Amino acid sequence: MSDELMQKIKNFIMEEFLPGEDPDELTATTPLISGGILDSIATLKLVMFMEEQYGVSFEPHEVDKENLDDLASIVRLLRAKNPSAA
Amino acid sequence: MDSTLTAAQAAARATVADEPRGRIRLRDFAAIALQLGLVLLLLRQFQIESPAFRLLAMLAFAGFAVHAFLPLPARLPFFSALSLISIPLTLGLVNGVWLIGIGLVLIAACHLPYSFRVRGAILLGLGALLIGQRASLLPTPWSEAIWPILGAMFMFRLIAYFYDLRHDKAPVTLAQSTSYFFMLPNACFPLLPVIDFKTYRRSHYSTDAHRTYQKGVDWIVRGIVHLLLYRYIYYYGTLAPSEVTGPAEFLQYVVSNFLLYLRVSGLFHLVVGMVHLFGFDLPETHKRYLLAASFTDFWRRINIYWKDFMQKIFYFPAVFALKRLGTNKAIIIATLYVFLLTWLLHSYQWFWLRGSWLLAWHDMLFWAVLGLLVVANSLYEIKHGRNRSLGKAKKTWQSTALTIAKTYATFWFICILWSFWTSESITDWLALWPALKGPYTSEALFFPLLSLLVIVLGTVDLPGIGAVTAPANGLRPWLRDRAITVAWALGLVLISIEGVHTSVSAEFATLMHSMRSAHLSRLDNAKLERGYYEGLLSVDRFNSQLWEVYSKKPANWLDVENAGIRRFTGGFGQTDLIPSFVSTTKYGTVTINRWGMRDQDYPQERPAETLRAAVLGPSTVMGWGVGDGMTFEALLEERLNREPVSKAFKHVELLNFGVPGYQPPTQLVSLDKALDFQPNAIIFVATGREIRRSASYLAEVVHKSLPIPYPELAAIVKQSGAVAGMDETEALKLLLPYGPEILRKVYGRVANTSAQRGIRAILLFLPQVREGSWQEETPETLRIASEVGLEVINLADVYAGHDVDTLRLAEWDDHPNELGHRLVADALYRRLQADPAILFGRAAGGAGN
Repeated sequence: MSDELMQKIKNFIMEEFLPGEDPDELTATTPLISGGILDSIATLKLVMFMEEQYGVSFEPHEVDKENLDDLASIVRLLRAKNPSAA
Repeated sequence: MDSTLTAAQAAARATVADEPRGRIRLRDFAAIALQLGLVLLLLRQFQIESPAFRLLAMLAFAGFAVHAFLPLPARLPFFSALSLISIPLTLGLVNGVWLIGIGLVLIAACHLPYSFRVRGAILLGLGALLIGQRASLLPTPWSEAIWPILGAMFMFRLIAYFYDLRHDKAPVTLAQSTSYFFMLPNACFPLLPVIDFKTYRRSHYSTDAHRTYQKGVDWIVRGIVHLLLYRYIYYYGTLAPSEVTGPAEFLQYVVSNFLLYLRVSGLFHLVVGMVHLFGFDLPETHKRYLLAASFTDFWRRINIYWKDFMQKIFYFPAVFALKRLGTNKAIIIATLYVFLLTWLLHSYQWFWLRGSWLLAWHDMLFWAVLGLLVVANSLYEIKHGRNRSLGKAKKTWQSTALTIAKTYATFWFICILWSFWTSESITDWLALWPALKGPYTSEALFFPLLSLLVIVLGTVDLPGIGAVTAPANGLRPWLRDRAITVAWALGLVLISIEGVHTSVSAEFATLMHSMRSAHLSRLDNAKLERGYYEGLLSVDRFNSQLWEVYSKKPANWLDVENAGIRRFTGGFGQTDLIPSFVSTTKYGTVTINRWGMRDQDYPQERPAETLRAAVLGPSTVMGWGVGDGMTFEALLEERLNREPVSKAFKHVELLNFGVPGYQPPTQLVSLDKALDFQPNAIIFVATGREIRRSASYLAEVVHKSLPIPYPELAAIVKQSGAVAGMDETEALKLLLPYGPEILRKVYGRVANTSAQRGIRAILLFLPQVREGSWQEETPETLRIASEVGLEVINLADVYAGHDVDTLRLAEWDDHPNELGHRLVADALYRRLQADPAILFGRAAGGAGN
């Protein structure tokens, strides 16, 4: 996982929701919503982190499994909103 | 087994889908088809749900066999066509066409070439029109039968659909829309999970076809297991509030009430499992909700589709709108808003299914309490976090023990809260609690220990049926999961075979015999017999089998009740028939004479040489659902005059004093009235469960503080400790032990009053049209009648050899129809022919002499 953006988001998720877990197990395709890691509260925390960190804003309908179910999808959405995000 | 995808399983996903999208190997197809054959056997053996559902299951399984081999682009249109066919197949051609027509109008309105707001306004207008029609404020050219299904298809899915039309830019095809709304097997279920449209579309062959189909089979089997567990609890576990007399019964009451929810989880698994057979890899609807370890966990595990629907449509938009207030405040307000809406939408759902609005305090309180608990739990999780794991959570004995303790506490708290929600009123629920002061016997440990055992076994994570896990560790786990599904199905089929279950033991055979048939429980039967379900406000009623029977009943059923055939008197009898009332029903004219009898006109003074018998009883005597002249009393009177059985009298008059809703004690009011008409005979009609009904009626009288004009009954009430104004359930608990004595006093008064006036007094026992638990009290009833000196005519076998459906008015109305009344009249005539003295006295002589 060389992408810096992905790494930052991964770090946030590891620190906030998965303390003590092995970071190697969280890959770009690990299911986060369907895997029970991101529930509604965790999803909101993540969204607010990204909004603050990258100056983007999310719409409620974007907060779903299609956009946030794994790191790759999250990064894709973030890049679409802010191409310069890193 | 938990179906949550672990990281390892997800990684394995890619390796599994080695078949092209939507393709299945012939060998795998054969395995699925064999399992579906087994499922069909199971559905048949255990009569799972309605015949209509079993028909649709056959349609779906046959459709699957064709669908699986169609070219991929043709599959969704095929599923859509199959779904559309299922509607007229279930509801009939006319109703089916109406339902599809209304549905297509609603779908078309979503796609009109106007702005989102205009389309929204049009949809609201259409909704208002339908609401007016559902509430019977506007006329409808279609049958009422379509409302629950139309409601189930559109009341929530239309919201999800319209929301996605606005936000999801992917074009929608006609097949997607029609299959989404008219989805097989919705046509026979008024209760369906709220499937999200976006998820529905995206999940179509989103993963390996074989795995999707197999997951469908697993969930269907899991659903059947849930439904059988539900059936056991429904038949043998549920108690009436008045039966809760000690701690053991209290615990049984609260646990059984909660576990009745298994019906919903079973049906949802069945429905979603079936949809998987057409390539939709939908998420789980429920996730081991009995093992929730907190209130938020419970909300996330039970009815997941509902939680997701509320989250998407209301929760996230609310949080985003409020986030300037800060995360915590936004979450608190949005969560409470979601629970407020859940309550309102529950009432909205009730409206579409029943045609009236549900406004019950305990319903509001339940959602308020659950909402507050979830908010508190959410705040705790925000502050302290919650355990999450990327793989299998590492468990220590301390963490396992803590999870078990939390789960156990959550389970019991939810059971108590659920009992509150499903009670008919707050006072009913409060009346349960004094039972905890009763004796703590070893029986009181049964449910606490059983629930602990289930939670311990669930927490240590034994393999279960159903979850399709990717073969992350090779083929073995996959085969093991399949073997579990097949073993469950085969095992259930095996024990359903008569030769097998009778060879185990007589008790087991009786249990299996009962489990194999879908029928109403003894409690629901009692409610149906009393017509009691009309006023019920149990908020989970539309999950119940009783509600399903009731929901088929047209709102204007027989019309007479609404037209005001009865009036309130304010006395012990509460109501009587309105004199000189006439109404036309679909079963004929109902005429009440000037004296308030459903009969022809008679002078008050008995004519000379006339045998006059007053027939006292409830609605069966009054002739609910048959036209004038077709009641057994009128038929018998006509025949006794046409073909006399006695020469003692020139004429016979049978006066019908039947009043709908009358119970044995209220028939004393009819007796008082009948004496003014100088009868030579009294025929007191008993229709089953006389003892309990007598006690129940006195409990109602006590609750309503009505006067009791019969000193012997008032004395029993006093002796029982029941006092005026007391809660009805509490009063019933006190009066039930006196049930036989109450009946003895009622029958005794009939016998004594008659004897004092030289009137012959007869107890005529008329059975219900169908067999059931109403028969339990019959021997004691007849014994009491004989002991107090009533002549007994027992027509217990009058309907023997006839199919119940040919005898009753309708599935929701067990009153005898014309054939039923004719059978009673004929049987009674034969009985009087054989022994005329019973009615005509010793000087009766023989017929035609």
